[in-house]
Amino acid sequence: MLTINNLYAGYGKVEVLHGISLDVPKGKVVTLIGSNGAGKTTTMRAICGMIKPQSGDVSLNGKNVAGLDSHRIARAGLAHSPEGRRVFSTMSVLDNLTLGAFPRLTGARPKGDIKADLERALELFPRLKERQLQLAGTLSGGEQQMLAMARALMMNPEVILLDEPSMGLAPILVEEVFRIIQRLKTDGVTMLLVEQFAAAALNVADYGYVMENGRISVHGVPDKLKNDPAVYEAYLGGANKH
Amino acid sequence: MDIFLQLTFSGIALGMIYAVIAFGYQLTFATSGTLNFGQGEALMLGALVGLSLAGSVMGGPYINYWLMIPLVMLFGALQGVVVERIGVRPSIKTKNEFGWIMSTIALAIIFKNVAENIWGKDDLTFPSPVSATPFQIFGANVQIMQVIVVLGALAMMLAVEMFNRKSIYGKAVVATANDSDAAGLMGINTGQVVTFSYALSSATAAFAGVLVAPLTLTGATMGTALGLKAFAVAIIGGLTSGVGAIVGGLILGVAETLTGYYISTGYKEVPGLLLLLLVLAIKPSGLFGKTTIKKV
Repeated sequence: MLTINNLYAGYGKVEVLHGISLDVPKGKVVTLIGSNGAGKTTTMRAICGMIKPQSGDVSLNGKNVAGLDSHRIARAGLAHSPEGRRVFSTMSVLDNLTLGAFPRLTGARPKGDIKADLERALELFPRLKERQLQLAGTLSGGEQQMLAMARALMMNPEVILLDEPSMGLAPILVEEVFRIIQRLKTDGVTMLLVEQFAAAALNVADYGYVMENGRISVHGVPDKLKNDPAVYEAYLGGANKH
Repeated sequence: MDIFLQLTFSGIALGMIYAVIAFGYQLTFATSGTLNFGQGEALMLGALVGLSLAGSVMGGPYINYWLMIPLVMLFGALQGVVVERIGVRPSIKTKNEFGWIMSTIALAIIFKNVAENIWGKDDLTFPSPVSATPFQIFGANVQIMQVIVVLGALAMMLAVEMFNRKSIYGKAVVATANDSDAAGLMGINTGQVVTFSYALSSATAAFAGVLVAPLTLTGATMGTALGLKAFAVAIIGGLTSGVGAIVGGLILGVAETLTGYYISTGYKEVPGLLLLLLVLAIKPSGLFGKTTIKKV
């Protein structure tokens, strides 16, 4: 569904990604783990068009979208719940969700049943249902995270990028976020999940990639990664244990 | 007392014109962080094009005043697109923080020169579409056109506000103003939104031009001072608040007409500009503006 091949990207003259390749098959959850500064968020930004890759391919549903503007990539079916949530803070929760469906409402993507999808999103995130008319900027961090995820779902995309959905959340909310990811997985949603909570991410994922200094160092099914001594030592043991 | 009331009414009409132009500044500032310093010239061009269509300066009238308004707004929108494409977009693309300031001022001067060559340097009279005979409110004379100015200005701002709140494209504009990158992730073409906001902003100014023209003289130089004072209004009220634009406009408009009569016409601009300096010193984000924290 989403295939990244030999992707190079960075900021200005600083190259951050030195040839990333990864594959997110349809209906699967793939996770990208790694420490701070490894280049996880840069990878996400290069995929969705927030920054332009220097070279390499990003293929979405067989179409090469590398280098396109982010709105074109979104219309091709890529939804992104970005780092820092980036909800539209002066707008209501409901308006935020409506904007998630912007490509469907304006004919850029198949319309489908937007109303039913809205109900489904609100049922998946009951906290948002209670706060539909509240301004997004007045939500708590956890609620904003849920809104960012629900907004991405509203596009009815081919694939969803989730960048650090657990960042800055209380442990109980982290658990809720992962429960929802598990639920979406059961529903067959294709996802690329970037996480610092490596253990939780590997528990929900079908496949994992480990990133170090802008390169993929190891990849494999979660069981293999969990038993890899180097991966265990760096991301699963000690302080990172979750 | 009658005179005081009458001056207040004139001040309100003038103030609503400032408010509409200030509103235009806000539209582009919200979506792109840039301003069209040629707003006054957009107003002037709107008034002169309107005069050519509905007046006799170009062998007309070709069309009546009310039917002329949508045509003038369409012209204003196109003019706004030109300003955005030539003056602003290159600056945004190269992330040049100041380029747009000079280029919108440059375009404003060019528009003014072009207007001087087409319509001449002398002021022209814009025929009033309604009876110029005033009616009385509490003993004060009020012109029908003044009432139309106030209602028209309010209707324009209300229409934009409703568009932003109710339609999906309006919501896309608000989303872009909130967070341009995130709006892009929703599939919103934010470059197009910025172009649209310039078109809307200039259309608004052109509309203000044909509203104010029957009350003043019309000519190539009419826009510069109006545009500048409306900019002061936008700063006083806050660049992010529609209510602020109205309140700021009314304060400046009324202060001007009262000072002009009771003190001296030579000083009529002083109180409003003193207020501007005061606001900048005490609440730099404007009376109704949200304090913005610049993240580094």
